[in-house]
Amino acid sequence: MATAVIMPRQGNTVESCVVSKWHKKKGDKVNVGDILFTYETDKATFDEESKVEGVLLETYFEEGDDVPCLLNMCVIGEEGEDISGFTLDGAQESKPESQENKDTKTVEDSKPERKKEPIKANDSESLKISPRAKSLADKTGVDVLYAEPTGPNNRVIERDVQKLAKDGTKVTSAAKSGYVEGASYNATGIGGRVTVDDLSKQVQPEHMLAKTEEGFVEYTEEKLTNIRKVIARTMHSSISEMAQLTMNSTFDATGILNYRAMVKANAERLGLANITINDIVVYAAAKTLLSHKDLNAHFANDVMKRFNTVHMGVAIDTPRGLMVPTVFNADMKSLNDISLQVKELAAKSKSGSISPDLLSGGTFTITNLGNLGVESFTPVINPPQTAILGVCGLTTRVKEVNGQLKAYQAMGLSLTIDHRVVDGAPAARFLQELCSNLENFEMMLAK
Amino acid sequence: MKYDLIVIGGGPAGYLASERAAAKGLNVLLFEKRNLGGVCLNEGCVPSKALLYSAKIYDYTKHSEQYGIKVTESSIDQQVVIKRKNKVVKTLVTGVKAALKHHNVTVVEKTAKIEKKSSEGYVVSADNEKYLANRLLICAGSVPIMPPIPGLHEGYEKGFVLTNREVLDLTEIPENLVIVGGGVIGLEMASYYNSVGSTVTVVEMLDKIGGPIDDEISELLRKEYEKKGVIFNLGSKVTSFTENSVIFEKDGKSYEILADKTLVSIGRRPATKDLGLENIGVETDKRGAIITDSFGRTNVAEVYAAGDINGISMLAHTAYREAEVCVNNMTGKKDIMRYNAIPSVIYTNPEVASVGETEATAKQKNMNFESVKLSMKFSGRYVAENEGGNGICKVLREKDTNRLIGVSLIGNYASELIYGAAMMIETQMTVEDIKELVFPHPTVCEIIREALFAF
Repeated sequence: MATAVIMPRQGNTVESCVVSKWHKKKGDKVNVGDILFTYETDKATFDEESKVEGVLLETYFEEGDDVPCLLNMCVIGEEGEDISGFTLDGAQESKPESQENKDTKTVEDSKPERKKEPIKANDSESLKISPRAKSLADKTGVDVLYAEPTGPNNRVIERDVQKLAKDGTKVTSAAKSGYVEGASYNATGIGGRVTVDDLSKQVQPEHMLAKTEEGFVEYTEEKLTNIRKVIARTMHSSISEMAQLTMNSTFDATGILNYRAMVKANAERLGLANITINDIVVYAAAKTLLSHKDLNAHFANDVMKRFNTVHMGVAIDTPRGLMVPTVFNADMKSLNDISLQVKELAAKSKSGSISPDLLSGGTFTITNLGNLGVESFTPVINPPQTAILGVCGLTTRVKEVNGQLKAYQAMGLSLTIDHRVVDGAPAARFLQELCSNLENFEMMLAK
Repeated sequence: MKYDLIVIGGGPAGYLASERAAAKGLNVLLFEKRNLGGVCLNEGCVPSKALLYSAKIYDYTKHSEQYGIKVTESSIDQQVVIKRKNKVVKTLVTGVKAALKHHNVTVVEKTAKIEKKSSEGYVVSADNEKYLANRLLICAGSVPIMPPIPGLHEGYEKGFVLTNREVLDLTEIPENLVIVGGGVIGLEMASYYNSVGSTVTVVEMLDKIGGPIDDEISELLRKEYEKKGVIFNLGSKVTSFTENSVIFEKDGKSYEILADKTLVSIGRRPATKDLGLENIGVETDKRGAIITDSFGRTNVAEVYAAGDINGISMLAHTAYREAEVCVNNMTGKKDIMRYNAIPSVIYTNPEVASVGETEATAKQKNMNFESVKLSMKFSGRYVAENEGGNGICKVLREKDTNRLIGVSLIGNYASELIYGAAMMIETQMTVEDIKELVFPHPTVCEIIREALFAF
C-alpha cells in the first residue's frame, strides 16, 4: 500500500513552506530515515525524513515551489503500484472550489504554474520614470524600456532618456526582445546594430577571457533563501522606517567576570549550567527593562504596546543566517534557567530544527558581537520592537581608585532605540541602570 | 613609386574600390586587362538591359491592341539595337573612367600578375614592369564555365557556341537558338531572342529554371515563356555539340536540336588562374575561389578580395558592397559583409525579384516561419498595366521574432521595388514595424504591404 508524504505544518502560524531541495528522485529507493526533501519557512529550514520503506513513485512539487502545508509532496510505495488514487491535495481538507474537479484533475494539471520571465532592462509595469523623462521620451520617440535608469530607486530620469536618444538603441527591431541591456554582443548588423543572429553569440569582454580559460569563475550566483529574503526585508524596513539612535556605554566588568568564574568553578557541584557573560547580560537586561517599559515595547500604526513581561529575543549566528529565538518571560526566570534555555534555542537554531513559533514574539532583543572583538556597533532594531542592545567585547581601561590608577576590564554596551517613540534621556537612564546592575551584579541577584 | 593600394580588376568591385579608397586619400593603382567596367558593364548586366528594353518596346507594339492601340506594322532592326547597346555601354564606361580620373586613380590597362611580397611591399608585374604597393585588392572577377563537353570548344572557336560576351553582339538574329543553362543569363537571353523572333530552346540540367528562385515563381515564369513559344527541356544534360546541333540526354533518351547558334550559360567560376596568387600564398577553395572573411580579408595580411573572385554571390551589387567593406576595413573603419539581404533580379518580362529566404531555404535552415502568397492583382497599378497578368508575391515571416525574412515576386517593376524589401530584411524590421510604413499608391510595391496584413 503506497503512502503519501505531506508537507508538514511547522508551528501554528506557518501556512506554506518552500521546497529547497529534493534529496530523492522519482524512482529512487527509500529507506526509513532517509531524507526525502528539505523545506524552509520564513525563518528556519527542516529536513523531512521518510517514515516508510519503498520506492519514490511520484513527486508533486519541484525545488523552489511554495507548497501549502499538509499537501501531498510525494508518494512512496512498491514499484509499479497504482498511485492514481493519490492527488496532491488528497490530504488536505477539501475546498469547495476544488471539489467538483477533484476526480478529473490529474496530477500534472494541478501543478502550480511557474512563469518564466524574459530578461529585459525594464518592463512597462515596473518602470519608474520621472515626468520630465517621460515627456522627453514622448517627444523624441525613444523606447524608454531600453533606458538605463540612473536616478534614485532605479528611476529613469531625463539624462537617461537623453543618452538613449543620442546613442540610439543599437539593436534591430526584431532583435529587441532578446536583447539584454549591458550584455556584450558582437554586433554584425547594419550600422553596428545587434541582429537576431548576434543574440545567440553573446561575447565576454576580453579582460575576462584570460581568466575563464584557466577555469576561473568570475562570480557565482545564488537565489536568496527564504530566510535571507526575510532578513533582507526586515532589516531594510527597519532602517528606512525608524529613526534609530545608538548610544554607547561601558561598565566595569570585574564583578560579573568574578561571578562567572565562581559559578564555573562550582557548576558541577551545584548542577548549574555553563553560564556565560551573555547569559548574565540577558538576565540583567530582563530585570532592568521592566522599569523602562518604553524599551520593552512594540510600536506599530501609531500605537505603543508596552509589555509587562520581557520576552527576550537573542540573536544567534547560524549557518543559514541570523536567527532570533525568544526566551519567553525572561524577567521571571533564574539565571540558570536563562542560560539553559538560550543554549537550547541556539542549538536548535543552528541545526534548523527550531519551531517557527519560538522565532517570534520578542519584546526586546540582545545581540552579541563581543566575542568577535567588536568594541561598539549600531545594532538594527527588529521591528516592531523599539530597542535592541548590542553586547560588545572587553577592553582594558584605567580608573582612579583612592588616588591610585587601577586597570580593569571594561565591557561595552551599544543600545539602539527607535527615537520616534523613545527619547534619548530615558534610554540613557536604562543604559545607566543596566550598567550599574551589571557592575553590582551580586547585589542584583539578591533583589 | 609605391602605391598604398593596387587593385587587380576593373569591374564593379575594382573600380568602385579604387574610387572609394582614393576618396579616402589612398594612392591607388588599378589594373584592368580588358575593359574598365568589367563583365557587368561591357558584356553582362548593362548591355543585356539595353537589349531587353528594345525587346520590351517591340513587345508593346505587338501586344498593344488589348490596351486599345493599333500598331499596323513594327519590326526590329538588330543592328540598330546592338549599336544603341554599344552607345549605352560606352557612355557608362566613359563615366567610370572619368570618375577614376577625378579621384586620381592610376589606371593601367594591362594584365597584372602578383610576383611576391618583398620587404618593401607587394610586387605586381605587368608587361615586365614592376609595381609596388602596401596592400592588394584582388577583384579579377569570373569567367563562364566551359565544361569539357565534346564539340564545345570547337564550336566556340567557329562561332557556333557563344558565351554571354558574344550573344550580346549578334548582328543577325538566329532562327534557332539553343540556350544551355536556364539561369539568369540564359533566361534573359531567351527572353530577348524570343521577343525578336528566334525559336528558343532552353536545356536545363535541373528540374526548374531560375536557379535558387522560389519554386512556384519559377514555374509561373516557365509557363509564361512556354506561352510565348520558348521550349524548355528540364532535367536534361547536354552530351555533345555538333556543327549545327546540340545533343542532350533526358530520362535516358538522347535528343538532338538543330541550332544556328548556341549560348552556353551554365554558370561562372572565379578567374583566379594566372594571377600569381600562389606567389604570396593566397588561399583558394576547390572551385578556385579566394577564401575571404566577413571583412573581405584573405589569409594573407593586407591582401583583400572582393566580387565574383570569392565565389560567394557573383552579383555586381554584392561586389560593390564587398569592395566598400574591404576599403573600410583597410582604412580602419570596421565594416562587416552581410549576405542575408542581397536582392536578386531576373529581367525577364515579367520580371522576377527576390531577397532573403525562400520557403525552400528557410526550411533548410530549420527556421520557424510562415509564408503568405498573394496575387499581384491586389495591386491596383498591376491590374491597370498588366492585361491577363497572373503574378504572385510571396512574403515570409519568422514566427519567433515576427521579422520579415524573405520576399519573392514575379511581375513588372519587381526589380525596382525589391530594394525596399531588402531594407526591411537588412534592418530586421518586424512585421508590426512595416505595417506602420506608408507606401505610395497606386504602385506595384504596395503588394508587400498587402501581403503582410495577411499574417
